[in-house]
Amino acid sequence: MGEKVTFAVAAIGALGFGAGVVFFKDAFRAAVSLIGALLAVALLFIALLAPFAAAVQVIVYAGAIVVMFLFVIAYLGERGEITSFDRLDRWQVVGWLGVLGLGGLGAVAVLASDFGPDSPAPATTGVGSPQAIGEAMLANHIVALQAIAVIMLIATVGAVILAKSAVQGEGGR
Amino acid sequence: MATALAWIVLVLPLVSGVVLAGWPKEPPHAVTRLLGIGSILVAFGLSVAVFVGMLGNPADDRVFTSSAFEWIAIGGVSVDLSILVDPLSVLMMLIITGIGFLIHLYSAEYMEHDRDYRRFFASMNLFVFSMLLLVLAGNFFFLIVGWAFVGLASYLLIGFWYERPSAVAAAKKAFVINVIGDVGLVLAAFLVLRELGTLDYGQAFAEAGTLGADSGTVLAICLLLFVGAAAKSAQVPLHTWLPDAMEGPTPVSALIHAATMVTAGVYLIVRTHVFFDLSWLAGDIVAIVGAITLLMAATVALQQVDIKRVLAWSTVSQVGYMIMAVGLGAYASGMFMLMAHAFYKAALFLAAGIIIHALHDEQSLDRMGGLKKYLRVALFGMGTGALAMAGIPGFSGFFAKDDVLAAALNGGSIGVICWVIGMVGAFLTALYMFRLLFRAFFGPEPAGGYQPAPHPSRWWMSVPVVILGVLSIVGGWLQTPFGWTGMSEWLEPVIGQSTGLLEPTHGTEIVTIAVALVMALAGIGLAWWLFGADPERRIRLAQKAAGPRRVMREGWEFDRAYDDLFVDPSREVAEVMAARVEPAGPQGIITGTTALVRGAARVVSASQSGMVRAYAFWMVLGISLAGIVIALIVAGGG
Amino acid sequence: MNVPIEAYLMLSLGLLVLGLIGVMRRRNPLMLLLSVELMLNAGNVSLIGFSRLWDDPSGQVFALVVMVVAAAEVVIGLGLVVAIFRSRSNLDVDELSSMKG
Repeated sequence: MGEKVTFAVAAIGALGFGAGVVFFKDAFRAAVSLIGALLAVALLFIALLAPFAAAVQVIVYAGAIVVMFLFVIAYLGERGEITSFDRLDRWQVVGWLGVLGLGGLGAVAVLASDFGPDSPAPATTGVGSPQAIGEAMLANHIVALQAIAVIMLIATVGAVILAKSAVQGEGGR
Repeated sequence: MATALAWIVLVLPLVSGVVLAGWPKEPPHAVTRLLGIGSILVAFGLSVAVFVGMLGNPADDRVFTSSAFEWIAIGGVSVDLSILVDPLSVLMMLIITGIGFLIHLYSAEYMEHDRDYRRFFASMNLFVFSMLLLVLAGNFFFLIVGWAFVGLASYLLIGFWYERPSAVAAAKKAFVINVIGDVGLVLAAFLVLRELGTLDYGQAFAEAGTLGADSGTVLAICLLLFVGAAAKSAQVPLHTWLPDAMEGPTPVSALIHAATMVTAGVYLIVRTHVFFDLSWLAGDIVAIVGAITLLMAATVALQQVDIKRVLAWSTVSQVGYMIMAVGLGAYASGMFMLMAHAFYKAALFLAAGIIIHALHDEQSLDRMGGLKKYLRVALFGMGTGALAMAGIPGFSGFFAKDDVLAAALNGGSIGVICWVIGMVGAFLTALYMFRLLFRAFFGPEPAGGYQPAPHPSRWWMSVPVVILGVLSIVGGWLQTPFGWTGMSEWLEPVIGQSTGLLEPTHGTEIVTIAVALVMALAGIGLAWWLFGADPERRIRLAQKAAGPRRVMREGWEFDRAYDDLFVDPSREVAEVMAARVEPAGPQGIITGTTALVRGAARVVSASQSGMVRAYAFWMVLGISLAGIVIALIVAGGG
Repeated sequence: MNVPIEAYLMLSLGLLVLGLIGVMRRRNPLMLLLSVELMLNAGNVSLIGFSRLWDDPSGQVFALVVMVVAAAEVVIGLGLVVAIFRSRSNLDVDELSSMKG
C-alpha cells in the first residue's frame, strides 16, 4: 500500500514538474522545475529499493548539474526566446509524427510485452545497497567503469578549453 | 659464330639509335655521324663476315638458328626470341646494311643544314634495326614485330618535316595502309598457329605439307600473307601511300621507299614460299596483281612532273616485277631483281637528291634542264640507273629483268600473259626513265637560267652515288643467261632445288633477251624523239591527249576512288554520329550520370540543414519507424 | 513490489515523451539541455525498475553510468552555450547552422 502511494505521488510529481520543464517560458523556472522532477524520480528510486541511486540522483543531479544550469542562466542573463519565424516550418509535422509514433509504440510495447518473473524478489534483498552496487561495478562492469572515467577526463579537458577560449574572447588570460 | 655476329649486327643500330635519341641535347655533328653512320658501317662489316663465313660452309650447312630466350609460353605455344641466319637473310642483311651505310653516309651531307640532325639519324638507325629484325626473325612473331617497327620508322621518317601538313598527311596515310597489311600478316600468323600449332619458321614449314596442296586453308594463309606483302610493297590496290611518301627527305626515299622496305613483301613471299608452293591459285593471284601493278605504275610514272614521284612510281612498277616473279615461283629471280633494284634505284634516288639539293629543294622537272654540265656525279648515277632500269645489256637491270621474264615465259598461260605485260612494262620503263634523264640533264635550261648556279655535291654525297652507280652496272653479273647462276645456287638451301618447270630453256632465254632489247631500245628511242631531240615537240603533242594524261598523272584516280569509297562515307557517318548519336548516347550517359548525382546531392544536402532540432526530428522518426518494424517482426514471429 | 513494472515503464515513457516535446518545441539551447536531462532520467527509471524486478544490481550500475554521462554532457553543452551565445543577443539553436550541407 505504501509503495502504491509513494508511486502515485512520485509519478504525479515527476510528470508535473517535467511538464513544467518543457512548458515554462522562463529558463530559470524551468531549471527549478527540473529540480522538482529529479527529486520525484529520486523518490521513485527509493520506492524501488535503490537508496544509493536515489542519493546520487539528489547529490549529483539536483545538487551539481542543475546548479550549473542556474549559474549559466544567471551568467547569460535574461534573453528573450525567438518566437517569430521557425525555420523548421512544416517539417515540424514530421517531428510530431515521430513523437506520436514513439509514444504509441512505447505504450504498445509496454502493454503487450511480458517482463520477467511473475513474482518479483522480496523487498528484503540488499540489491540496492552500496556494497552490492560496488561489487557489481568492480566485478562485472569494470570496462564501463573505466569508460566513464575516460569520458569524465575528456569532459574536464573540453570544459577547460571552452572556458579558456571564452575568457580570452573577453580579453582575459 | 655466324649467329653471334648476326646478333651483334641486329643490336648495333638499335644501340646507336637509342644513344642518339637519348643524348641530352643536340650532339655535335661529328658525334652523330660517328654513332649513326659508324654503327651501320660496323654492322655491314660483320654482315660481310657472316657472309664469308657462310661461303666457307658446304651448301647444306648454311642454315643456323639461335634463340636468345623464351619470350612467351602460353598453353602449348612457345615463342622464342630467335633469329634465323640462312642465305636468304644474309643476302637481305648485306643489302640493308650495305646500301643503308651508303645512304647514311650520303645523309651526312644532305641533312647537315637540318636542325634535327640527330633525330634523323636516330630514326634511320631505328629503321635499319627494324628491317634487320624483320629479315632475321626466326618465327612469325618477331617477323610481325619487325614488320610493325618498319612501319613505325617509315611513319617517323616520312613525317620527318612535321611542320609541313602534306608530310604529316603522307605519314598518316602510309601508316594506315601499312596497318592494313599488318592486320593481314597477323591474321595469317594466327591461322598458321591454329592449323600448325607453332609460329616457328622451321616447324611451320616442315609441317606445312600436312595442310594439303591447294586446300582452302593454305589459300587463306597465302592471301593474308599477300595482303601484308602488298601493303608493304605498294602493290595495287594498296600502293597509294608510296608516291605520297616522297614527302620525306630524299635519303629516306632512297633507303626505305626504294631499296629496302618496299621489298619486304618480296622477302616475305620468298620466306614463306612453302605455303605458296602448295597453292597454285595463290601464286597466280600474286603474279597477276604484280603484273597489273607494274603496268599501271609505269603509265603513271610517264606523266609525273615531280622528279621524286617519277622514281616513286617506277619503284612501284619495279616491285611489281618482283612480286610477279615470286608469284610465278621464280623466287631466285625475284630476289635477284630485288638486289639489283636496290642498287640502281638507290643510285637514282641519291642522284635525284643531289639535283634537289643543288637546286635548293626544287623537284619539278619543268624547272630543270641542261643540268649535265653542272652535276656530273648526278648524271653518272642517274645515267647508270636509267640504263640499268631500261635493261641495256651489261647493266644489272638487264640480267634481272631478263631472268624474271624468261622464267615467266615458262610459267604456263598465266606466265605468258605476265611475260607480255612485262615486255610492255619494259618499254614503258625505258620511256619514262629516259624522259626523266633527257628533261633533267639535257635540253635547254629553264627560262632565266639557274639562280644561283647549281653547286656540285661534296664527297659525302658523291661517293655513295658513284659506288651505287658502279654496283648497278656490275651487280647483275651474279646471274647471267647461259652462264652463272650465282643467286639461284646461293639461295638453294632456302628455296630448294628449282623444280625445273621454271628453268629457262635456251630458246626462251634468247627470245626474251631479243624482245626485251628491242623494247628497251624502242623506249629509249621514243624518249629521244619526244624529249631529247626537240624539246618543243612534247608541248605540241601534249595538247592532243589531255584526258588520258590527266588520268595517268592522277595515278589512275585511286586516291579519289578511295575518297569516294571509304573516306567520304566514313566522314558522313562520323558526322551523323557526332551530331545525333553521340549527344544522346555516350555523352548522354555521362551528362545523365552527373545530373543524377547532382540532383541526388541536392536532395541529400537539403536534409543537412545544420539545424539541430531538425536532426532530432529525423532521429526520432527513424527510431519510431525502426521500433515499429521490430515490433511487427516480433509480433509476426511470436 | 506492489506496483507492477508496467506502471514504472509507462511513467518512464511519459517522461521520455515530455522530454522529446521539449527538444522539439524549444529553441533555447538551455531548454534543450534541460529536456535532454529529463529524457535521461526517464531511462534511469526504467533501468532501476528492471533492477528491482530481476533483483540484480547491474541496472543500478547502468543508471549511475548514465548520470556520469549526463554530467559530462551538461558540462560540455553548457560550455558551448556560454562560448557561443555570450556575444549574441538571442538564444536560438537554429542559428548554429554554419556546418550545413
